[in-house]
Amino acid sequence: MQNQVPTVSKIIEPLLWIFFIVSFICIPLYFIQEKVIYLGKYIRINGLSLIIFTTVGFFGALISTYSKRYLQGFTYQKRFSLFSIGFVLSVLFFVIANSSILILLSWFLMGLFMAKLIGVNADWGEARHASNYAFRFFFSSTILLGLSLSILTYYSSSFQLDYILNNLDLIPNSMLVIAAILLIIAGFIQSALFPFHRWLLSAMTAPTPASALMHAGFINGAGILFTLFASLLIRSNTLMLLFVLGGFIALIAQFVKLLQVNVKHKLACSTIAQMGFMVMQCGLGFFNAAIAHLILHGFYKAYLFLSSGEEIEMSNPNKVTKINIKIIQAFFVILFGLAGAVLFMLLTGKTSLNNTSIFLTLIVAITVGQATYNIIREKSYSFGQRLIVSISFFVIGIVLYAVFYNAVSLILNESNFVIKPHQLSLFEISFGILFLASFFLMKLGIYRNSPWLYVKLLNLTQPNKNTILKFKS
Amino acid sequence: MNHQILKQNIELAATSVGTTWPLYSFVTSNPLSGYEKQNFKTACLNAYQKTGNLALPDAHFFKDALQTNLLNSSQLAEILKTHQYSGNIDRYFEEIKELKSKSNLNKTQAVDQVLVKWMSVFLDEGLADWEMPNKEKGFYAAWKSLAKYDANLNISKSFNFPKDSISAIEKFTNDISTNEQVKIFEKHFASLHGWVGFLKYRQENTTEWFKKFPFPLADYLAVRILISYFLKVSLPSNFYLTESEQKVFNVSIDCLKAIEDAWQNKMVYQLNLAASNPIQKNEPIDVQLVFCIDTRSELIRRNIEIAGNYETYGYAGFFGIAMDYEDAFSGIKRKSCPPILASAYKVTEEGNIEEENNFKKLKKQHKRSSFKNYFLKRMKNILPSAFGFVEGAGLVYGFQLVKRSFFFKKDHQKDIKYLETTCKTKVEHANDASELSLDERVQIVKSAFDLMGWKKFADLVVFAGHASKTANNPFASSLDCGACAASPGRHNARLIAQLANQTEVRKALLTKHQIKLENNTLFIGAEHNTTTDEISLFDGDAPIKFEAKIKALKSDLKIAQKTATLERLGKSNSVNLAYRKSSDWSETRPEWGLAKNAGFIIGPRALTQNMNLESECFLHSYDWKKDEDGTALNAILNGPMVVTQWINNHYYFSTVNNANYGSGSKITLNIVGKFGVVQGNGGDLKTGLPLQSVKQSDENYYHKPQRLSVFINAPKQLINSLLNNNPNLKKLIENEWIHLLAIDPLHNNKVDKYVAENKWNNLSAT
Repeated sequence: MQNQVPTVSKIIEPLLWIFFIVSFICIPLYFIQEKVIYLGKYIRINGLSLIIFTTVGFFGALISTYSKRYLQGFTYQKRFSLFSIGFVLSVLFFVIANSSILILLSWFLMGLFMAKLIGVNADWGEARHASNYAFRFFFSSTILLGLSLSILTYYSSSFQLDYILNNLDLIPNSMLVIAAILLIIAGFIQSALFPFHRWLLSAMTAPTPASALMHAGFINGAGILFTLFASLLIRSNTLMLLFVLGGFIALIAQFVKLLQVNVKHKLACSTIAQMGFMVMQCGLGFFNAAIAHLILHGFYKAYLFLSSGEEIEMSNPNKVTKINIKIIQAFFVILFGLAGAVLFMLLTGKTSLNNTSIFLTLIVAITVGQATYNIIREKSYSFGQRLIVSISFFVIGIVLYAVFYNAVSLILNESNFVIKPHQLSLFEISFGILFLASFFLMKLGIYRNSPWLYVKLLNLTQPNKNTILKFKS
Repeated sequence: MNHQILKQNIELAATSVGTTWPLYSFVTSNPLSGYEKQNFKTACLNAYQKTGNLALPDAHFFKDALQTNLLNSSQLAEILKTHQYSGNIDRYFEEIKELKSKSNLNKTQAVDQVLVKWMSVFLDEGLADWEMPNKEKGFYAAWKSLAKYDANLNISKSFNFPKDSISAIEKFTNDISTNEQVKIFEKHFASLHGWVGFLKYRQENTTEWFKKFPFPLADYLAVRILISYFLKVSLPSNFYLTESEQKVFNVSIDCLKAIEDAWQNKMVYQLNLAASNPIQKNEPIDVQLVFCIDTRSELIRRNIEIAGNYETYGYAGFFGIAMDYEDAFSGIKRKSCPPILASAYKVTEEGNIEEENNFKKLKKQHKRSSFKNYFLKRMKNILPSAFGFVEGAGLVYGFQLVKRSFFFKKDHQKDIKYLETTCKTKVEHANDASELSLDERVQIVKSAFDLMGWKKFADLVVFAGHASKTANNPFASSLDCGACAASPGRHNARLIAQLANQTEVRKALLTKHQIKLENNTLFIGAEHNTTTDEISLFDGDAPIKFEAKIKALKSDLKIAQKTATLERLGKSNSVNLAYRKSSDWSETRPEWGLAKNAGFIIGPRALTQNMNLESECFLHSYDWKKDEDGTALNAILNGPMVVTQWINNHYYFSTVNNANYGSGSKITLNIVGKFGVVQGNGGDLKTGLPLQSVKQSDENYYHKPQRLSVFINAPKQLINSLLNNNPNLKKLIENEWIHLLAIDPLHNNKVDKYVAENKWNNLSAT
């Protein structure tokens, strides 16, 4: 009576959990040793490798546990497991590769396996189309990355990644810029950032756990790629580009998310926004923050995908009544916002007021302010309770983040480029203000009055036409 | 053309598609209910012609039947011969496979895509924060105001939109005959039958959403016709079976009939026909327990009866109370009686006097939890807190991932009992909020006893409603009580117990109806959790003198839970396994619901006592001797029997064509608008049970797609006269949507099968 779980799926689960635990244990060991391990010229294990090992190990293991039951009876359960493990291995390969060829190959394999997962249900026409569609994106990304790496390899006459990155002087400036831009586009495609987002919105043919793996793993490609090539981006002066594009994408995607009516598309738009933010952090010179963000976002998004069956709810249509805020409440909003900012600065060491870190601090301040703003008006708590809830909310949140952030930073320490805050330019300041001001735009809800904007944004997020309603079965 | 006629044609055409119920109150209804006036086979073919959705069981269903001897190969060969089928048996199976795996390009894809886009944003029930503009004007007007910005439509600047939907339809169809019109509308409806079915649901039930954001079927047609015009897409042609495909279909239907016949014979062989008179027990019964007619009750009833000196009854799980239940805190009202009944009563909670503080506490709890949801939504939606929130809360989500994957809940008792001990149900008329008269209350209680043919009362009587408890399951409500319109049945159970305990009700029962309830009989409400087979008694205010009895019952119920789950799950440690299934977020088959339902037995428990019906049968207690004029039976036929027919037909069609009549596999479902699901990137709204509710694996069925066989323990003349008075029911049986069999007590319980026009065929286990 019971369906048999394929042997592969059964074996993979404990292996991945063991792999996760071992990687996790290796991190402190590595930290004590503080030595990058080389296996020959082209394989290199460093802090970043171990962090990604642990992360991917965790998600891979979790997904295998979840899908063992979730996919029971699914004709292609075995293939699902094989593709997942293929994907996990290509990520591992990617983060230990020290050769431009290996990097390129593993980047290609990541895309290949992810495309296969999107179309794992081979009996389903739309899924096959979605798979091909996604693969075309991933393949283009590989080509662009290949071009970028060819330039770097050609001018430095070496395939060895660390050699290339330590000798960027050998490469003419214009070539550096071209290589950086190609690399950036390659990253953007894999992270589904506008205007390359369509594959992600057409990828819901993947079984739910594959989506979780996609949104917690695959999608982070840009973050890892940019961190690996941080010195190239810095040398080519393209960080500002990342900051502006990332910020812009984060902003649009967050708006687009508001009008999604199905769970998985809503989550996908949220992912695009978060990836935009991650790229923005890279642009600010905080590659360590980007790595921390991609892991934390992975937890968040994997959870939301795996529990995406919980969104059925009966409700009545109602208008949200506006509640005005009292002066004393506003006082606490500002006070706690500032307190949150100070706590964040102290705990994460971002104490400067005039370099790019101030931007991240401001985001924390506003977030704390927004949280307090909501809590302080909630009538089911007494005023004292509201203060306590607000304080514990932001203190716990910031402390948890700071611990995680500092741990990631420590491990990434050996690379000199992961924390490169710079002085803010006037342009960056103005864009930053625009970004933060969008908060008021959202709060006021002016955007709701534009039907034109609504239609444009709605059409922007439709899946590819071959992946929906193509067949009558 | 006359607008009235146009509207009538629209309504008429809409009967060609089924109703799509929202998943928060998932009613298992017959997707072909609009075809019920036709013969089953004809209906399947007509529906195929119009929608392209073929209802045909898989080849392996017939192969399995060959193996289990419900069908034998000579019989099959005979059927093939009758239909002049040229190939052999293997070829026939091959052809079924080929026929079922046919897949065509969707000719109206372009129109469907645009329309689905607009319908889903309009119909959303709160998933999106940014609503479609102008929704309150109704669909046609709202769409009209946005269509000019939709680059996909290529609308020329000079185009003048008709002022309303009816004029739009008229503009494009006024030179067509009524008959043609209906056919055209049917095609338009069939293209997106799931979404259209949901429009039907909203319109028929005039939901709050419909009132505020009207979306009549005419708006759908108007917009569809206009989009087709802009995109130059013509109507699709009908679907037809080739001659040989038609043969395959005919053969299959005959095989199905043969299998059903064999199953009925098997049942007759097993039934305890000699003992339609209740087994006389010498000692007095300790407790009587009433369960829903649901197929899942059979298992728990049998195990309870074994556990001690208990007697069990089957009664429709809404316990005869046509009511809506309003949540005391959210104010959300749900139907809690069969969808075919109008709700006469509204039931809600009021705090017990001595529990005033706890009630307040519950209220506060509810407020806080809805604040929590609101708060999280705000943090996730608003810029830039969306980014700060993810970073601050990320580790907590990581922790939750591990917790939900490895640590499962062990016990649900606490979850539900708190409200029930703190509050008592409060009932009033639905229309004017007035109180129920004594007569009405007496009537509710009396009908229950009448329909079940109740004779003697034990000291303790339990009314057990049922509900399921599952995690991460969009179809959770499909596992709740079908007789309560997919709501949990506990509130109905509590209410009937409360009414039966009222002193004035008992007095009236005695004086007016000679029903003697001893003073010491206590009624209590309960809930049977079908996922874990745990039974919670709502005994908070039971008098102290019943303490010992209740305690003994509780411990026996625990034993019954153990044996029942062991039987159902087939593994030691079955109780823990059941709890795991009930709280595991990765479990797609937490329980089987009503799968395998095949029979409905109306008669005394003695007929089925001591036999294992393997949860294949609905059971309604009934005693023909206490029902001389057939009033009770008439009520059972019109109520419970129709509900079981809906359920059975729903399971049938969801099983044989899961992609179109069901919802497809859960693993790629995507919740839309908080009320429904689509597959993958979107498309038509799904209308039925998911694959995991009816199939063991992508290939193999779990549910046996058989039409319901209704066995009634009553004289044939009585049944004949009732059918003559209910032409609809008669048609339903004559058209083979269900089978009717009489266990005639006037002829030594000989079993006959109803054929047509009050004619019966003998069917005895020989």
